[in-house]
Amino acid sequence: MSVILEAKALQFGYAAGKPFASSFDFALESGEVVALMGENGCGKSTLLKTFAGMLKPLGGHVTIADRDVHDREKGYTLLELSKQVTLMRMNMEAPDRMTVQEFVSLGRTPYAGVLDGRSAEDEAIIEQSMNLLDVQKYATRPVCELSDGERTRVYLAEAIAQSVNVFLLDEPNAFLDIPRSHALFRTLRSLAASRGMGIVVSTHSVEYALRYADRIMVIDGGELKVSAAGEAEASGILDWARAD
Amino acid sequence: MRRTWVCFGTLFIGVLVLFVWTLVSGPVDVSLHDLAVAVFNPDKAEPFHTKIFWELRFPRAMAALLAGASLSVSGLCLQTVFRNPLCGPYVLGISSGASLGVALALLAGFGFGAFGVLGAASIGAILVTQVVLVLASRFKNASVLLVAGLLVGYFVNALVNVLIAGANAESLQAYVSWGLGGFTRLTFGAIPGFMAASIVGLVLVLVSMRYLNVVRMGDDFARGLGVAVRRSRILVLLGSSILAGATTAYCGPVAFIGIAVPHLAFMVFRTTNHRILLPGVSLCGAFLALLAGLFPVSIPLNAVLSIVGVPVILYVLLRGNNRGGAL
Repeated sequence: MSVILEAKALQFGYAAGKPFASSFDFALESGEVVALMGENGCGKSTLLKTFAGMLKPLGGHVTIADRDVHDREKGYTLLELSKQVTLMRMNMEAPDRMTVQEFVSLGRTPYAGVLDGRSAEDEAIIEQSMNLLDVQKYATRPVCELSDGERTRVYLAEAIAQSVNVFLLDEPNAFLDIPRSHALFRTLRSLAASRGMGIVVSTHSVEYALRYADRIMVIDGGELKVSAAGEAEASGILDWARAD
Repeated sequence: MRRTWVCFGTLFIGVLVLFVWTLVSGPVDVSLHDLAVAVFNPDKAEPFHTKIFWELRFPRAMAALLAGASLSVSGLCLQTVFRNPLCGPYVLGISSGASLGVALALLAGFGFGAFGVLGAASIGAILVTQVVLVLASRFKNASVLLVAGLLVGYFVNALVNVLIAGANAESLQAYVSWGLGGFTRLTFGAIPGFMAASIVGLVLVLVSMRYLNVVRMGDDFARGLGVAVRRSRILVLLGSSILAGATTAYCGPVAFIGIAVPHLAFMVFRTTNHRILLPGVSLCGAFLALLAGLFPVSIPLNAVLSIVGVPVILYVLLRGNNRGGAL
């Protein structure tokens, strides 16, 4: 295993001087699934956006394969970055008029030429991504007509079609029923294993985190704490999540 | 996929037929044979026929073709960029800007030198577009932009009304005649200019194809797919305003096509992929404009487009809405 994404002395947040957590180091290995947990408003989404290069950090820096994700001159250009990392969020507006097939096809945008064509290879990857998430049967339906759970899987298929090395997911199981949530995490595990992706997934479910993640990362009380999933409960980083 | 090609083929043939029909129809009866001689064998043709063909019929057909395609592409881009089905060059005040330029030239007697009336319209359209561009960069919210566009339109129209109040009867007539809109004003010599402006506008739009296809999902999503959002947005809006401005300059204000044809093209092609939609709206727009141009010249173009077109579009939209949403 090798380190794919690395954060050094990272401080993240929106307002200068008010980071969500004190400065920390973190390294994501390829082939590993890390669950990101914490209370509402603790900065999970903000951290994911910072990892994805969409939000500049307040301090420190983030690199993927040793290149900076925020510095457009010395690090990745926007186009190069889009082949390395993707952030899947559920709070997007459902695209009007767009069919599932068309939406998943958007994942190949970084690989398209100026006229946005799709090669036979692109088409094969789109097909494969739809099969992986079992959305092939909706291919010609408009995305906005699907249920929230179906839409989640379509968004996932689109992100997978992007063929990235670092896959970030913001509460992907928010709208999924229990069997589909298990299926989702199993899919993430197999993506990590088969494609060597590094995956960070934020979730509120301790059960899924313990069962499917390699490590658990918690933002709690202005500190970022990381522990192997097997030792998470013993190490006390999940104490905030107890009901009593 | 096959369906798409059938639609393209049918529309293309339709445009071709209407183009030829426009060439052979007009107030003066000239037989098809005489026209063919005038085109392919000008030495043997009657000068009168050659003149009618090259100075009246051909420019008219070209005007309808270019205006229909340009306005439709402009409308589609504006609707996509602002994620709003109500957007169009008319609504955003771009056409009003052109009117102001023409009013300044015809009513207030500003010379505009070698540019003439057509140049004045272009300059007016581009200036108002600049205002809209600045507003667009300030307002992320499409509804606010629409309101701003309408307000700019009102303001510009008020200026035009002030100019009208102080104008003499003769120049007023020239202005009103331009303001009715029509495809008969284009001269043979102006065709290259109109064509060049359309091509420039179209190229600016085409190089932003990836942006057009992903922007419906929002700027963050587009950036995540490696699309330079700011630059593409400016290129698309500039292209759209050149297309709309040039058309208004050469044909007068032409309403309806820019806002309606994108919806029509969506019904025909059933896709949001601009690789298909852009050529699709161009053909649909050219078809409609050529069709409307076939009505007798004495009826104003905008009246034809609105009376015939609006009920059709309303029907299409309502039917689509019941099936799960045209908008």
